[in-house]
Amino acid sequence: MKRIISFKLNGEDVEEYVQDNITMLDFLRKQMHLTGTKKGCGEGECGACTILLDGAAVDSCLMLAVEADGHEIVTIEGVQQDGVLHPLQQEFIDKWALQCGFCTPGMIMSALSLLHENPHPTELEIRDAIAGNLCRCTGYAKIVEAIDSAAKILEKEAKA
Amino acid sequence: MTLPKFDYIAAGSLEEASGLASQHAENAMLMAGGTDIIVLMKDRALTDVKTVIDLKKIPDLEKLEFVEGDGLHVGALTKLFAIQTSSVVKEKMPAVADAAHYVASAQVRRKGTMAGNICNASPSADTAPILISMGAVVKTYSKDGGREIPVGEFFTGVKKTVLEKEKGEIVTEIVIPELKSQEGSAYFKHSVRKAMDLAIIGVAAWIKMDGKKVADCRITMGGVGITPLRAFNAEKLLKGQEITEDLLEKAGVAASQECSPISDVRASAEYRADMVRVYTKRAVKKALETMKA
Amino acid sequence: MAMKSKEYYAEIESVYKKPEDYELAGKGNAYVRVDAEAKVTGRGIYTADVDLPGMYYCKLVHSPYAHALIKSIDFTEALKVPGVKGVLTGKDFPEGHNLGNPEAFKELADKEPLCREKVRMVGDEVAAVCATTEEIAEEAAALVKVEYEPLEPVLNPFDAMEVDAPAVHYPNAGDGTSSNLSIFTVMNAGDPDKSFAEAYYTDKHHYRTQEMVHAAIEPHGAVAKYENGEWTVWTTTQGAYVSRYWIAWGLGVPESQVRLIKPMVGGGFGGKLDVFAHELCPCKFAQMTGHPVKCILERDEVFMCTRTRHPISFEIEAAVSKEGKLLAKRCKHILDGGAYGGSGIAANTLSLICATFPYKVENLDMHARRPYTNHPASGAMRGYSACQVHFAHEIHMDEIANDLGMDPLEIRRINGITPYYTGPTGLEFTSCKFDECLVACAEAIDWEHRDKYPIGSGEAVGLSGSGFMSGTGFPVLVTPHYCSSSTVVRLNREGYAVVFSGANDIGQGCDTVMTMIVAEELGLRMDEVKLIQSDTTATPWDAGSFGSRVTFLGGNACRRAVGDAKLKLLSHWAEEWGCKPSDIKMKDHRVFIEGDAEKNISYNEACFGYEEKNFGRCVAGVGSFAHEGDKDIYVKNVGNYATAYSFSASAAKVKVDMETGAVDLQDFVFGHDCGRPLNIRAVEGQIEGSVLLGFGFSCYEECIYDENGKHMNPSFRDYRFPTALDMPPIKTVICSEHDPEGPMGAKEAGEGSTAPVGSAIGNAINYATGLTLRELPITPERLWRALKEHEKTGKTEFGAEDLNERFAKMPPLPKRD
Repeated sequence: MKRIISFKLNGEDVEEYVQDNITMLDFLRKQMHLTGTKKGCGEGECGACTILLDGAAVDSCLMLAVEADGHEIVTIEGVQQDGVLHPLQQEFIDKWALQCGFCTPGMIMSALSLLHENPHPTELEIRDAIAGNLCRCTGYAKIVEAIDSAAKILEKEAKA
Repeated sequence: MTLPKFDYIAAGSLEEASGLASQHAENAMLMAGGTDIIVLMKDRALTDVKTVIDLKKIPDLEKLEFVEGDGLHVGALTKLFAIQTSSVVKEKMPAVADAAHYVASAQVRRKGTMAGNICNASPSADTAPILISMGAVVKTYSKDGGREIPVGEFFTGVKKTVLEKEKGEIVTEIVIPELKSQEGSAYFKHSVRKAMDLAIIGVAAWIKMDGKKVADCRITMGGVGITPLRAFNAEKLLKGQEITEDLLEKAGVAASQECSPISDVRASAEYRADMVRVYTKRAVKKALETMKA
Repeated sequence: MAMKSKEYYAEIESVYKKPEDYELAGKGNAYVRVDAEAKVTGRGIYTADVDLPGMYYCKLVHSPYAHALIKSIDFTEALKVPGVKGVLTGKDFPEGHNLGNPEAFKELADKEPLCREKVRMVGDEVAAVCATTEEIAEEAAALVKVEYEPLEPVLNPFDAMEVDAPAVHYPNAGDGTSSNLSIFTVMNAGDPDKSFAEAYYTDKHHYRTQEMVHAAIEPHGAVAKYENGEWTVWTTTQGAYVSRYWIAWGLGVPESQVRLIKPMVGGGFGGKLDVFAHELCPCKFAQMTGHPVKCILERDEVFMCTRTRHPISFEIEAAVSKEGKLLAKRCKHILDGGAYGGSGIAANTLSLICATFPYKVENLDMHARRPYTNHPASGAMRGYSACQVHFAHEIHMDEIANDLGMDPLEIRRINGITPYYTGPTGLEFTSCKFDECLVACAEAIDWEHRDKYPIGSGEAVGLSGSGFMSGTGFPVLVTPHYCSSSTVVRLNREGYAVVFSGANDIGQGCDTVMTMIVAEELGLRMDEVKLIQSDTTATPWDAGSFGSRVTFLGGNACRRAVGDAKLKLLSHWAEEWGCKPSDIKMKDHRVFIEGDAEKNISYNEACFGYEEKNFGRCVAGVGSFAHEGDKDIYVKNVGNYATAYSFSASAAKVKVDMETGAVDLQDFVFGHDCGRPLNIRAVEGQIEGSVLLGFGFSCYEECIYDENGKHMNPSFRDYRFPTALDMPPIKTVICSEHDPEGPMGAKEAGEGSTAPVGSAIGNAINYATGLTLRELPITPERLWRALKEHEKTGKTEFGAEDLNERFAKMPPLPKRD
């Protein structure tokens, strides 16, 4: 079956006609043409498709699009606000925390969720938060460094 | 793979969900977080699902309440992540928070639920052993009123539970009794990686002490049978005894002898059995160390 | 002797910036990756993101058998599904146009785009379906009925070499050899027999490494369209030109009719070098339907149908002097080639070259064999052959040291390659900081006090070393002068430059390297250099990203191109100003003579002035780079393989759970001689990624097959590579020295750095447990099994135990014609 769902996508109210059996990942990529959310496995084992559902990082391949009805979804395309990169994005750039970049959007979404839940994470907490995001290129070292650094910048910004 | 065709219904009440489930019986699948069933449907490990009944719009199913003198009430829609991060859970029953934390990834735990973890009835489900050891009870709803089922009696086989599909029986809540004075519990999962893996085995222990002696205990093993299994012989060895390294080793050996693991791509039966021995010791020890004064 | 390119380019190289003037090269934070913003915003376009109007989707039908004859293919039911646009089978491709690698050995190409009569591995592609949606294509693919006659598979490389083994490709010739032995390679030097006869110490040990996969997070895929008699293909490739060559060959059309564009690639690691059915079938469908067609593999298809790392079985003998000097080595390497050749055919040679690295061994008796089996095809993988070889040979090195009562650090130091050493088979080393790498690692891991972890205590540190070629010179396709890479640079009077580079960025960052080289030479900002990359219509030739060649060969080509442009520009101004071109500097968007305020103009004015004088003709430069060898290196294995070599050392600290066998990698130090690091953070990133790959290789990762050759763990759940929680802190020590041949003094970082990781961890585990483990991976269960048996029987040596007999019974090497 198909149905109309309404939800917030990257800050905009949208109404879409969706198939019951389409995953949020396929819906975003195929129907909304938001290809920043990547498909690495389709089974919740790599985290490349991570998005925010009501602010919390989830695998969009393990979610039906229809589940979004009445909720708020943020994808990597919605992270940059008014043309300004989020500190996490900027730190990923500055710390060289990416190589092939295929895991990067998911990694950033997981980090966003973490910093929202826990603004002062320890290194172990950072590693735990991104343990569901596989990266084959970086050994995670610079990713952990970038998230830690972004947390500190956000803290400074919050204080200012 | 794309998902097979099915109809999706977001039920607004337990009554509606139960009615739909009973009406579609074998072709219906209840969904809470959905993180297990979506994969199963993609892999065509779940066939014949024609109707997916989403429970998430049903009010009041997402509670996480600790009632003094009673225990922890976990709603059917309460996410594993909420359990893992709850300061109350971490304080009152840390082993339950640990077990929730062991499941898959943060992304899965932010969507997946404890009720879903046990209803999916995978023999290696991470939250099942600790719920059984803690003496938790599952509350259900069905058209004739529902019931309370000890988690220890909940599983009947791989992917099978006592829930009555034709009656549209739905888990609404899991109640985990609080730890009283001189009681402690622990759960360990053994896997190759520190995250993302399915358990090779898991062992949960609950222990009640009477001075230096074990007054009562429950040890539950995951991943070594078609359902989580109690290690009754190991428990028997411990009861009434003072805990020593030697006794722990005997209990571990007993547990490893009463489980019935299989060999698969993740581990051999032999290895699983020996890991039950090792982690039985460690779980009991940790339960003792973290015991409530 | 013919003119060397060094002489040919001498004048161009005379205007290169001097190292003391570098503003970008060698700095850590002077600039960021040119693709970083696209990647952190999700705007970067990878193959699966290419979205064209009217796109159709393609799905492949795979063999469930490891070895079978195809009796019939019935796709009538599939064609009936509404939305299905066509079905392809092997007969739709020209016969004899098999896929392989490289061009010079085209007669060895053995992979049909779709199998015609026989399948040789589980996952072999037998048909393809095209439909309007992915769902319909999937549904229809499941309806294609293929009737097979199963044949006995051969799954072990030693079995495959038996005379009566099932023939994977060609019928046995009846000359007492197995037709499965497709390739064997021999490398000899000095008088090994004499060394063995006279040596103070000799030994013989066996080792084995497992089958591993690349596991790039981006699955393989392709999008093709057909217009005006020409195909445009966007694909997940590591080498646009080489992929274009094989796609054109597979389709039976001239290369001029295929344009290949490499979008962003989500990791390669060697797995995206060969051309596959998922690239050819969309091309064919695009031509048949007039619609663009997309084919993206599912994760299990990537595991089962692409490429793997060669499992290798080793027999190693060493002859050593009383002082610990390596006098001679005898080795036999048996590589499981799997069902096809492809990029796998270089594996033998590389395994032998690496067998002595990073040590001086003058007397050699070595050979490698790569039989076909019915496993998935083995191919190139990061640290090509070196990871396996350095595991075996570096565990062996500690065994020698321990037998002689020597310090494993010391035995490595006294045997290590030194600068400008020439090896016995003709390898010519240039800069070498191997000793510094070793010492740095030993210091950082506190090697001196390693006794604080008693043997068998469950904790220990381990060391290892390695070397690798910096820039495999072999260009894959047949090119003039063995040219590996060429680049065009155009200077624009509006204040920028454009670099047309064929180098293939697959995530390692070569787009940034090429941009930086041009910006550095011209004194422009990074964002004033525009890069056009890897598009066979727009950019010049490049052989691809493999063999740690891109920075070295592509970087040199790029520098020569910008040097050519720079020479033209500066020659003009030198004439105007009455000086030599090399007297003029380019910095901060200015062209000037230092200390002379009169002779100081902007970059724009400089370009404008040149064009003014030359009737509007713009400044452009062309450069190329080739490793100056001849093909004997690739055929006879004598001579110099690469222009430079990198060196590495590793040190690991592990803690073993002696009850469960679980290994906790607690600390890791990496010393790398990469020449001048063009960007320190980029080098560190390559090394940190190498440690992940090496840790996975040593303790976690393994493709598991059942007795019928079916892959049992084709998912990220059961093929486990380390998560962020599993990785240790990593300390990188760059022991660099300006290499005279490298671009701005650089050598390589990326492949060589994977090679010593597994053995450092392996050696540490051996000391922690008091056992000698000679087989990978050291999974918790495998280690637990060894510890249990040791407890029971006192046995201390584990792994590869069947190999002594298997090597002893191995048929002799065939005669070489």
